[in-house]
Formats: sequence, structure tokens, C-alpha cells
Amino acid sequence: MSLNDPNWGRGSRGPGGNQGPPDLDELWRNFNRKLNDLFGGRRGGGGDVRPPAPSGRALGGGAGVLVALVLAIWLASGFYVVDAASRGVVLTFGRYSEQTDPGLRWRMPFPIQSHEIVNMAQVRTLEVGYRNNVKTKVLKESLMLTDDENIVDLQFAVQYVVTDAQAWLFHNRRPEEVAMQTAEASMREIIGKSKMDSILYEGQDNIANQAQVLMQKILDSYKTGIDLSRVTIQNAQPPEQVQAAFDDAVKAGQDRERQKNEGQAYANDVIPRARGAAARLTQEAEGYKARVVANAEGEASRFRQVLAEYSKAPAITRERIYIETLQSVLSSTSKILVDTRASGNLLYLPLDKLMQQSGAGGLTESQASQRAPDAALPTDPGPRSRDSLRGRERVER
Amino acid sequence: MRALGPVIAVLVALVLVASSVLFTVDQRQNAIVFQFGEVKEVITKPGLNFKWPMIQNVRLFDMRILAYDDAEPLRFLTQGNRPVLVDSFIRWRIVDVKLYFVSVQGSEAEATRRLRQTISGALRDEFGGRTVHDVVSGERDTVMERVRQKADQDLRRVGVEIVDVRLKRVDLPQEVSESVYRRMEAERKRIANELRSTGAAESERIRADADRQREVILAEAYRDAQRVKGDGDARAAATYAQAFSRDAEFYAFYRSMEAYRSTFSGRSDLLLLEPNSDFFRYLKDPGGKAGGKK
Repeated sequence: MSLNDPNWGRGSRGPGGNQGPPDLDELWRNFNRKLNDLFGGRRGGGGDVRPPAPSGRALGGGAGVLVALVLAIWLASGFYVVDAASRGVVLTFGRYSEQTDPGLRWRMPFPIQSHEIVNMAQVRTLEVGYRNNVKTKVLKESLMLTDDENIVDLQFAVQYVVTDAQAWLFHNRRPEEVAMQTAEASMREIIGKSKMDSILYEGQDNIANQAQVLMQKILDSYKTGIDLSRVTIQNAQPPEQVQAAFDDAVKAGQDRERQKNEGQAYANDVIPRARGAAARLTQEAEGYKARVVANAEGEASRFRQVLAEYSKAPAITRERIYIETLQSVLSSTSKILVDTRASGNLLYLPLDKLMQQSGAGGLTESQASQRAPDAALPTDPGPRSRDSLRGRERVER
Repeated sequence: MRALGPVIAVLVALVLVASSVLFTVDQRQNAIVFQFGEVKEVITKPGLNFKWPMIQNVRLFDMRILAYDDAEPLRFLTQGNRPVLVDSFIRWRIVDVKLYFVSVQGSEAEATRRLRQTISGALRDEFGGRTVHDVVSGERDTVMERVRQKADQDLRRVGVEIVDVRLKRVDLPQEVSESVYRRMEAERKRIANELRSTGAAESERIRADADRQREVILAEAYRDAQRVKGDGDARAAATYAQAFSRDAEFYAFYRSMEAYRSTFSGRSDLLLLEPNSDFFRYLKDPGGKAGGKK
């Protein structure tokens, strides 16, 4: 009976033009009558009380159209569209028969053929350890045990495309789930063989590559028709409980660099300074040498010149030099002339006071040099006796 | 036109008959045809097949690789009684439909129940003899392969092939995790301290090296400077000696004069003199005898 239903539905919608709005009861009765005709009254259904309808002919024509229409609709149900990114797979009585390219396609209608459409271009993404955003973690998936029995919190994404539509359809139930589980298991296997530090710091690309290779191998062994395009580690960090300790260790590494740099800075400060000081010493030494040598040469030369003259008149030259020297010495210094033999040991000289005075007086040197000869002169001609000098102190300024 | 009525009827009848007599077996399925509950035929090829209506019925089985995934991780003890939580997933498929139906009445739930028992038993055996490290990294493959073989051997008897057994999660239970965290912390602390102290040591080494270099540079410079000065002094001495040795006595006199001049040069120099020196010989005696006598 069920097969009749579409006929009813379509019959009531479609070709009513011939006979006006169809009455369901009437149609039903007509149908039963026709069956009776066919099977020789074997199936005389209840309610078939009316005589053959006068509109039998019209009905026959209507039925023809109906059949044609149903047939057309049935055939039309074989049309399907394969979009550009996809491939269609057609099954004939459940058996694979062909793969179809994008476009409007037609297959034999149900139940002869059926089709499935597989998107071959879409890059599908699996998110392991998180959903949508790396911050929304799924700890059950993300915490993994490493080779050195540490625990790492790792999120990664897998991108893949379906390259073999038949394999994708026929070999595994729910291949997306298979891919997800394989991804998780493979990554855990690789992490289980890696050290914590290499996972956290430098080895992430390497781990992602290894995991990809392993995943692909497993998926191939299941014949999933999946081709992995990328495995990317989104985030790898120590679990929250120990995050602080890890951060501190990283900081310690930076501290170490800082200390090294500080040491280097000190070295860079000290060594160039030492070089500078060394250069100064060298230059000073050179200067000293030049000075000493030049001085020596100068003095030697002067001496030779003087000697040349001296040897011409030794006595007088000697006397002259002696007097000139003493004059210049005595004229520029403070002096006390004491006749020690006469004074004995009673002479009192407040030397410190004298020094003070001479020091204080020394501030006007021009004056001093002027007055020195004047001061000296009165002593020279002074025809004083020794006695007059006794006990007296003279301070020449 | 009138002939069409019967045509429809025939078609409908054909469809009715066909639907009860014919059935399709999908690419992904195998089928068993039962006759009064007895297995009559096993269909392994996809396509259109025939059965008798009423007396025969058909059951279809999914022949794809199926997955079994533990909902809850299983707890096993490893060597040294350290517990681990293990989450495995198993890929299996029906290889012998008839056997499968006979043994587990074709119920997937029943099949997975058996599967779980076998696998967890095999896993328990494997884990019991191994350390945590072995099952996590070193011998993971071996464990998986051995469990697969064992389970496969067992489940072949119910017409099931174990395609693969994968250890997904091998985790430590919460209470053990905490101690692992403590250990990780201690380890990091050790690393941090090591880094800091090696940093300090390195810094000190660089500083000390710099200080050494400074000393060396200065000392060498001093040495070279002294050499240069000595050289200068030597040359000066040679020059002096060469010049002054012409008349040593005069040199002594001349040089003394020079020295007096430069020694007593300021007002602050106080000379305490006796008037009986040669210079003052005319001071008391115009004849110059006083000094001369002395």
C-alpha cells in the first residue's frame, strides 16, 4: 500500500485539469476497481460498491499522464549536484560503480543507484587539547606525560584533506573520530618519547613533524583516505601548578645572561682604561727620556762651552762664578748672619717665628727682589764691630 | 489508453514483490540470510540479492573498521605498584560474519564487552611487568603490539579481527600527579639555582679576567716605561760623563754652584750664616784677609 501513497499525493496535486478537483475516495475506488479488473476480482476491496465509472476513459488518460509523471519524477530524483570542491561516489545496488566529477550529475534513481558526496578540497581541522580558542583548554586531552616523567600541557591542531573518497567512505565508521583519536594517540606517543625541555623550548617543530609522520602511518594502515597537511603545536607549557617554577627557571636563565653581560660590561670598562693608563705610562716614559736626554745634552753642551772659556782663565772665572752664584743665592733667600764663635751658645733664635715672618713676607716677591739688594747693602758697608752684632739678630726680608 | 490502468497495477505489484524478495548489500556491509532463524547463506559481495519472502529474512552487518574507546580510563598497577590511568582505543572489524553472529548474536554491545575484557586483561598483564617509563615511552609500541596480538588471537574466535590497539592516554592519577608537580618544581628550582650561580661564577670570572688583564697591561706598561726611562737616563749619564770628564774638578765646582742656586731659591729658605766664609771675606775686612785666613 505504501507505494501507492506518492501516487495519491501527486495525483491530487498534478493532473487534475482533466477531471476537476479529484476526490480521494473516488480515486481510491477507481484504483480498486482497476485492480479488480486486472486480477479478475480476486481483490474485491470493501467499499467498491459503485459500478464502473462513466469517466473511465478519462480516468485511463489521466492515469497515463500520472504514470508518466511519476516515472519522470522518479527519474528526476536521480539528479544530484557535485560542487566544485567535492567528488561524487555512485553505488549500484550498494556496490561501488563510479566516481563523478563536479557538475550536475545523473544516476539511476533509488533503489538502483545511490550516491555520496565527499568534500575533497576542504581542509578539515582537528583541535586537540582545546576547542575554538587555545585558552579554552580541555585538560583531559592536553596534559601529557613526557619521557622524563614530567607533565606538559600541550595543545595542537591537525589539518587534513580527504584524498581518497572511496577509502574515506568505505573503510572506517566515523572517520573524523578516527582521525581525532589517532591524532591524540600519536602525539602522546611522541611526547612520551621526548624530554620536557625539548617540548617546551626548542624541539616543537621536530615533535610536530614526528607526530605527523606517525599519524599518517596509522591512518594509512586504517585506509582512511586522509592526507595530513599540517600538524601544528599551538601551545606547549608546563601545567599551571608548576608554571611559576618554570617561569622562574626561564628568568634565571636571563639572570645568568644579565650577570654575564654585567661582567662583560665591567671588563669592557676596565680593560680599555688600563690600556689608556698604559699608553700614558709609555708616553710619559718617552717624554721623560726625551727630556732627560735633552737636558743632558743641553747641560753637557753648556758645560763644554763654559769649560772652554774657563780653561782660558781658570782663576778669575772660578771666582766670578762663585760670587755670582752666592749673590743670587743670598739675594733671593732669607738669611741671618751670626757670628757663632762670639755668641757662644746663648744665642736665642725663634726659628719658627722667623719662618712665619719670612713666609708671610714672601708674598710680594717683586718687592722682595727689589729690596733684597737694598737690605743687603747696609750690612755690607756697615763698619760695625763684631760686638755690635753680638746678641742681635737681623732678619733680612 | 485504457490499457494503462493495468500497467500501473502491474508496476505496483512488481514493486511490492520486488521489495520483499530483493535486497541490496552495501559496499560496507555483509549480510546473513536466515531461513526460519537458521543461517542459510552469508553474502560477502555487495550487490542485489534474492531471498524468499516470508520464510527468509536478512540481517546486515557493518564490515568497516569500528572503534572502541574507553569512556573511563582504566587503572593499572605498574612495576613497583605505581598506578597509572590508561585510556586506549581499539580498532576492530568483523571478519567472519557467521561466527560473529553465532558467538555474540550479532550484537555490537556484546562484542565490545568481550573486547574490553580481553584488552584490559592483556593490558594489565603487560603493565604489571613494566615501569611507568617503559609504558610511556620505551616500550609503548611493544605493549600495544602484544596486546593487539593477544586480543586478536582471542577475538578471532568470535569472528573479530583486532586491527590496532593504541594507548591514548597513559596518565598518573591525581594524587601521584601532585607529587610529580612537586618534583618538577624542585627540578626547576635546581635548574634556576644552577643557572643563577653559574651566571654569578661566569660574571666573576669575566671580572677577574678583566682585572688580571688590567694588572698585566699596567705592569707591562710600567716595565716598558722604566726601560725607556732607564735608556734615557743611561744616555743622559753617558752624555754627562763624556762632557764632564774633561775637567772633573771644574765640573764639581760648577755643578755645586748650580745646585746652590737652585736649592736656595725662595724666601722661605732661611740661611743662618757665619760671616767668616770666603764670600764674606770683604765684609769685615776690605783687604779680604778675614775669609782667606779662616
